[in-house]
Amino acid sequence: MSTVAEATGVSKWYGEVLGLNAFTASFGTGITGLVGPNGAGKSTLFKLLIGQLRANQGTLRLLGENPWNNVPMMRRLGYCPEHNQLYGWLSGQQFVEALLRLDGMPTAKASTAATAALKVVGLSGAAHRPTRTYSRGMRQRAKLAQALAHDPDVLILDEPLSGADPMARVQILRTISDYAKDGGHVIMSTHVLYEIERITQNIVLIHNGKAIASGDIHAIRALIDEHPHAVRLETSHPRQLAQALARMEHVVSLEVPADDVLLIRTRKPDAFYKELPGIVADTKLDVRSLESPDDSLEAVFRYLVG
Amino acid sequence: MGLAESMRRLWVVTTLTLRYLLGTRRVIAMAFLSAVPLILALALAAARVATFDNVLFQILMIPLFLQVVLIFVTLVNATTLIREEIEDNTLPYLLTRPISKPAVVLYKYLGYLIAVLVLLVPPIILAYAVTEAYQGNGLTANLDILGGFLVTTVIGSAAYGAVFLFISVLVRKPLAVGLLFGFVWESIVGSIPGDVPKLSVVHYLKSVLKGMIAIGPMTTYQSDISAGTAVLLLVGLSVAMIVLTMMIFQQMEFRQKA
Repeated sequence: MSTVAEATGVSKWYGEVLGLNAFTASFGTGITGLVGPNGAGKSTLFKLLIGQLRANQGTLRLLGENPWNNVPMMRRLGYCPEHNQLYGWLSGQQFVEALLRLDGMPTAKASTAATAALKVVGLSGAAHRPTRTYSRGMRQRAKLAQALAHDPDVLILDEPLSGADPMARVQILRTISDYAKDGGHVIMSTHVLYEIERITQNIVLIHNGKAIASGDIHAIRALIDEHPHAVRLETSHPRQLAQALARMEHVVSLEVPADDVLLIRTRKPDAFYKELPGIVADTKLDVRSLESPDDSLEAVFRYLVG
Repeated sequence: MGLAESMRRLWVVTTLTLRYLLGTRRVIAMAFLSAVPLILALALAAARVATFDNVLFQILMIPLFLQVVLIFVTLVNATTLIREEIEDNTLPYLLTRPISKPAVVLYKYLGYLIAVLVLLVPPIILAYAVTEAYQGNGLTANLDILGGFLVTTVIGSAAYGAVFLFISVLVRKPLAVGLLFGFVWESIVGSIPGDVPKLSVVHYLKSVLKGMIAIGPMTTYQSDISAGTAVLLLVGLSVAMIVLTMMIFQQMEFRQKA
């Protein structure tokens, strides 16, 4: 199997709102990141893939099958929704165990599998606490535990890192990587590019309901890097600092839009961020704040879609 | 799918539903409302009301229990079964397991039925027991009255629950529509002379009482069907509503709520 999921010209609209617009992409084996800003259509695509929405146009296949109302296929699927709602009156152990028994597992086996899954995501210590007392990171891990406890062929994870604390992020990414190393397939959405870079090279970029690029993350990075990256510095000496930064070959423009603001555009943001502290230290100029108007993925997508 | 697996799924969905309906804070209000007939019977006994007997019991319980408590308890519980899972975004956990949507509806309905009977049956039995004890009768002295109320409780819970569950998959605000059906439609249509009351559930519940209870206000109720026929018609209505709910739910799409 080389393709886990495939969408061809898939459109989905809600009344007059377009959720997906002739979306065409294929998701290969291993881990694939579905990257796009909020509202891009990631959750709509996932809802279509898990059979909770029906496409208005186009064809969609998950594990070679049409997912709409496909009950047998659910045995092979693990799904982690974006929202953090759980059955708050159940403990983590009861929550995972109940869902495993819906897979048809006998009670004893479900209990053992639930305990093992909660251990994998680092929730053993809180397994018997009501899930309503869980933090957002713990909820994310409980959702991941129920998704992978029945050892599915494919995991569909909708923003699994959203709201998770740094420790939970590490745990979640490690769990996903280990699952993929064991032969599982993962389709994971995020609106933060660097998060996905840590576990996979394969991404599909989605914007306004369309797949705008897919493939190796480095090729897409290179595409992004062709466009200047803006950095905004607040300093009391913007002109002197501009003079010093002009020596950088990758800096393509410098502007002073206000008395204490310097706006830089660079073709190599990584190099810029690496060299900047040294230059600031050498010139002894104060820099009060640094921010990038381009940090948001929305800006990257603006570049890509022109 | 084997029978054992299906039974496991039935058990899980039914117990999840039971735990939700009986194990969360909402049960306090529901239990209090369900206990109103018992509270009323105790109050009448405590006040030493001279006319408190089996007939007064029926005169009070038919409008109070049958037309208020039963409708309200079934309405609140049945409309939350699926709609609340949609609103709370917990439905994907069930629907991404190998269980069909119609099975989810059926198993949840069974959980609902058990939950409302746990709430409604004990107070009505106890209210009857208080009435009999107050009159100095044994508990088996007027079993036709107890039987009539138990049958109407069971069959009324099934029928109203099925109607309200059906409403809950049709509209986003099922409570409001259910209130209109339960308290406006049922009371107006049910009280119009002629054949019009046949369009209400309460007409058939009253027909059951008329057929089962030997003395009391229901003996003069205008109905041309037997208790057995009324029960069969309400069972038919319940089955039809549940099947329709399954069919609609099977085609429903679930867009994640923000």
